[in-house]
Amino acid sequence: MDKNYLQHFLYPSSLFVSKDPYLVKTILGSCVSICLIDKRLKIGGINHFMLPNWNGNDLASPKYGNIAIDKLVDKMKYHGSRLEDIQAKIFGGGDLLGSTKENSIMIGERNIRVARMMLEEIGIPIIASSTGGKKGRKILFFTDTGEVRHKFLEKQTY
Amino acid sequence: MSDLNDKQLLKVLRDRLDERKSYETEVEHLSKELQEITRKFKESEALKSHFISNISNEIVNPFTSILGLSKAILSVEKQDWKKVVSMVALIHSEAFNLDFQLRNIFVAAKIEAGEIQPNVAKVNIRSLIQTGIDSFNIVSRKMGIDISLDFNIEHGFGKNYYFKTDSEKLKLVISNLVNNALKYSFKDSKIIVTVWVDEDILYFSVKDNGTGISEKNQKIIFERFKRIDTGINSLNRGHGLGLSITKALLDVMGGNIEIDSKKGDGSTFTVSLPEARNIVDGFSGDGNDIFFDEGDEIF
Repeated sequence: MDKNYLQHFLYPSSLFVSKDPYLVKTILGSCVSICLIDKRLKIGGINHFMLPNWNGNDLASPKYGNIAIDKLVDKMKYHGSRLEDIQAKIFGGGDLLGSTKENSIMIGERNIRVARMMLEEIGIPIIASSTGGKKGRKILFFTDTGEVRHKFLEKQTY
Repeated sequence: MSDLNDKQLLKVLRDRLDERKSYETEVEHLSKELQEITRKFKESEALKSHFISNISNEIVNPFTSILGLSKAILSVEKQDWKKVVSMVALIHSEAFNLDFQLRNIFVAAKIEAGEIQPNVAKVNIRSLIQTGIDSFNIVSRKMGIDISLDFNIEHGFGKNYYFKTDSEKLKLVISNLVNNALKYSFKDSKIIVTVWVDEDILYFSVKDNGTGISEKNQKIIFERFKRIDTGINSLNRGHGLGLSITKALLDVMGGNIEIDSKKGDGSTFTVSLPEARNIVDGFSGDGNDIFFDEGDEIF
């Protein structure tokens, strides 16, 4: 399995796309990561956003879902991907703070919603996902095969 | 269902009504959010085009001065070295400013492209902050402003205090704060940079005695492209990115910034920065130890 993959740790608010096979690792709490996979070119990309929508005030960075998704798709296209070849897997959006319906923070929930809504709008099918729940996640993403190894983490603060 | 008595029936109805109401409020909430986002996008587009014109001034003006001055130097009589020195000083300050602004712009572009990540090392805080301040020496001397460093950490070897953080980003944060302080200070006044540590959190503040910022404006100064055109020395310079970059950089490093200011009574910006962990959630910074666990699910 671990033929010498180059490795990258994906920090929150950043994104990563590569033509070379990479192994990308990231840790998710209420954040959401979308892995985009192009089976034709065998390239993959992944983002890691913290909040659903850009507030219009900060720098327009991929900290925000709506920006992170657009930028990731753009970057895949820049590397030669055609929209019809792209598939998505989404992870994260856990509720580590234990928010209830009443306090209506539910960042994780809203992050997932933005991800699903925007992917549907763009026309990218979601072929696998592990979202929600009360736990954090660790994921390893292989950009060439599109395989994702996924593990729940014991409850901690992220 | 048919066995419900009146009381139960009422309860069911009420529950359904409540459920519907909560959906309605949610829809209302979402559409409000959407409207707000649309408004912000429009506003930000307008700001962006404004930004382009600001930025071209920011780059073109220094270049024009540099070109003009260097041409003038070429035609100066060789004996007249005093004239040459003063022109070289001007060239330096224009080039310094250009370099500083370009750095900011490139960092902003990197942040927006999602390509920024912490680059952690042990950093000599005193020398980093001192270097940051010193780089403004020529500008501050010209304005007669004294920048003093009040270093309140008694720790480590000699007078050096080492702290794990991202030196490049921290330097840019300090430069931006000092630059702002200079921009909004009166001639012949003082800027005080104070540094201290409390429970593994590094604090530093930059205090000026300038124009100050009204409470209303304090809310918007961190927004991108926003500038408050009351700078005494500013001549309306700047691109309005400095503080939003500062905030975004601190975000990457897990830090925070606060402002304390009164209109007409100077401003103090205070940054708090936790020490970076070498290991980010079980991942060492050099990226050589990604293990597979038995418990991995495969998607």
